Amino acid sequence: MPAIVEVEGLSKKFGRVRALNQISLSVAEGEVFGFLGPNGAGKTTTIRILLGLQRADGGTARIGGFDSWTEHSKAARLFGATLEQPALYGFLSGRENLRLFARTLGPVDEKQITELLDTVGMTERANDKVKRYSMGMRQRLALAQAMLGKPRLLILDEPTNGLDPNGIHGLRILLRKLATEQGLTIFFSSHLLSEVEELCDRVVVLHRGEVKAAGELSELMNFKGFQYRIDVSDVDKAIDVVRSVNGATAERGTIKDSITVTADMDLGRIINHALVAAGIGVDQLVHMRRGLEDVYIDLTGVVPGSPLSASAGGPPPAPSPIGRN
Amino acid sequence: MFFNLVRNELQKTWRSRWIVFAVMGVIFLLIAGGLYTYYVVTVGRWSPPAAVAWQTTVRADIANNQQELNSLEQIKQQGDGPQGGGQFGLDDAIAQVQQQINDDQYLLDHDIAPVQSFSITLAALFALGGIVMFLLVRIFGWLASEQIAGERSDRTIAILLSRPMSRDQLLLAKAVASFLISLAVVVVTFLIVYAIWAFVTGSVGPLTAQVGIAVDGSKPLAGNNLVVMSIPLFVLMCLGGAMLGVLCVQGMSLLVSAVFGRWAAIGITLAVLFGAPLVSTVVGGIIFAISQNPNKAHFLNYLFVNVLAPVSALTPVFGNGSAGPSGTGMNEFGFQIATLAVWTVAFFLAAWLIFHRKQEAG
Repeated sequence: MPAIVEVEGLSKKFGRVRALNQISLSVAEGEVFGFLGPNGAGKTTTIRILLGLQRADGGTARIGGFDSWTEHSKAARLFGATLEQPALYGFLSGRENLRLFARTLGPVDEKQITELLDTVGMTERANDKVKRYSMGMRQRLALAQAMLGKPRLLILDEPTNGLDPNGIHGLRILLRKLATEQGLTIFFSSHLLSEVEELCDRVVVLHRGEVKAAGELSELMNFKGFQYRIDVSDVDKAIDVVRSVNGATAERGTIKDSITVTADMDLGRIINHALVAAGIGVDQLVHMRRGLEDVYIDLTGVVPGSPLSASAGGPPPAPSPIGRN
Repeated sequence: MFFNLVRNELQKTWRSRWIVFAVMGVIFLLIAGGLYTYYVVTVGRWSPPAAVAWQTTVRADIANNQQELNSLEQIKQQGDGPQGGGQFGLDDAIAQVQQQINDDQYLLDHDIAPVQSFSITLAALFALGGIVMFLLVRIFGWLASEQIAGERSDRTIAILLSRPMSRDQLLLAKAVASFLISLAVVVVTFLIVYAIWAFVTGSVGPLTAQVGIAVDGSKPLAGNNLVVMSIPLFVLMCLGGAMLGVLCVQGMSLLVSAVFGRWAAIGITLAVLFGAPLVSTVVGGIIFAISQNPNKAHFLNYLFVNVLAPVSALTPVFGNGSAGPSGTGMNEFGFQIATLAVWTVAFFLAAWLIFHRKQEAG
């Protein structure tokens, strides 16, 4: 699929602070793309440049082949966007907000507005003033606003902010539906790793203005190898046996009578065979899938939700070996 | 598309600030009601007074001025007043009153109505200049200062700028919407003041007659020092002058709005619009105290805040008096219009340059 978002060597400084340092990424048409990173990583700056709100100091940001700053009007025809804080007019009703934003695209399509209100579940409150809406309702209306004019790309900056678990679940289903049924490309920026993990096909992890990793989610979660938990009859002997297998390391497991094995490649069967050949009883061998959270911590050195995640502190980790665009 | 953008801006201003217009309407009603009550109480009648022909008014002016001249001459002969040729000496006062008599007589002899003769011209002078425009211009400045700054504070600017339109279009739409709103308010204000004057003078007056205005109000009305124009043209000229003042303020407000957030923009705009005349009055007072010559402070007029209602420069509204310290007449009006035009272009150019390149945080 051709890329709809192409970012090449993008740099941006605010005074002495380098917000983005030569970042590159691309998003293919129809893809659900996760844009991850702790606060201050440069996610919002990248999005502002893509939206044409700010000009990059270096590099290019293109949407559908159009430069997001110099060819803004053409690029903007292709996307709809929501911001971290839903930007709506509180003194107008939900429907009036949609009408107002629709006028910036051309003639108002009342049918589409009604459909969008229905899609985001806001039909009942459509005629109430937005200032009376909850945060979750504003987020949903902002999403409807982004979908006005049937864009090919949705750029969503922290769209789950203020949503309750039901709302988050509903949004996930809606976005998946939009991607599969309408072929919409979704550029999803979030700090909620579980959301990204469940929703996105591919992710980029940004930290301190640099791309730390980019690639397929499954690939990214295994880029540091495979991990197994093996329940054995003799832990010490099993560790010795596994360590003799080329490319595998073993250590005592957190569960009684188990070992944790890490390998560069899938060595599950070989290790099982070696253990059995050495006369060690193997009760079970579990292939432990690494979560996105583990990868994220490895890459950024920041635990999601920790105080560090707000300040993006801690030593900068080394770049990952894979997927650097 | 552009029409849609202007419509959006009109809708936003009306829906978010309708209370301002409602308050203005109530104030107008209260003023009109108060004036009417005062009239009923003092004159003792409910209906308008009988209309008086402008010639009668001018003759009465001449008679009054003649009386004043006689008393000044008496004072001079008795040697009671200040003598000599000082700026405000008795001789100057006598010369001034004599000139008023001559001017009025000249207008009568040539059948040219002074500009204050009719209710519609009085309404143009009063509603499109003076205190009414002084206040309206500041309200328009406030509203315009919110145009971009308010969107920035509400973060809606980011969504608007991410839409497929240029920043130039958005800025122009905001300027056009601000101007249209102010034009509507000014025209309605003018019509209300006209209605009040029509009641006060007892006549809606002629709408197609001609009126005379001095070219230089400080010199005798005669020959080349008099412009005669039709009432519609005069009203249009006043409306144009008033709206240029409004446009100038809106340019300044948009410039401030392009840089700051809502409250800073409103604060700075109102501080400039209310503070600058205050400062120039103080500076003018100091200059006068030192030089004893009011004309020395005339240059202050061209610091744009003093000429936001250039209609006021045409002639003193009440009375046919000669020039005040800041000068009156078509020449002064022309200078003030030129000054405003330069300021207006400069403000809009600066607002455009800044907004065009502004990096929005969203």
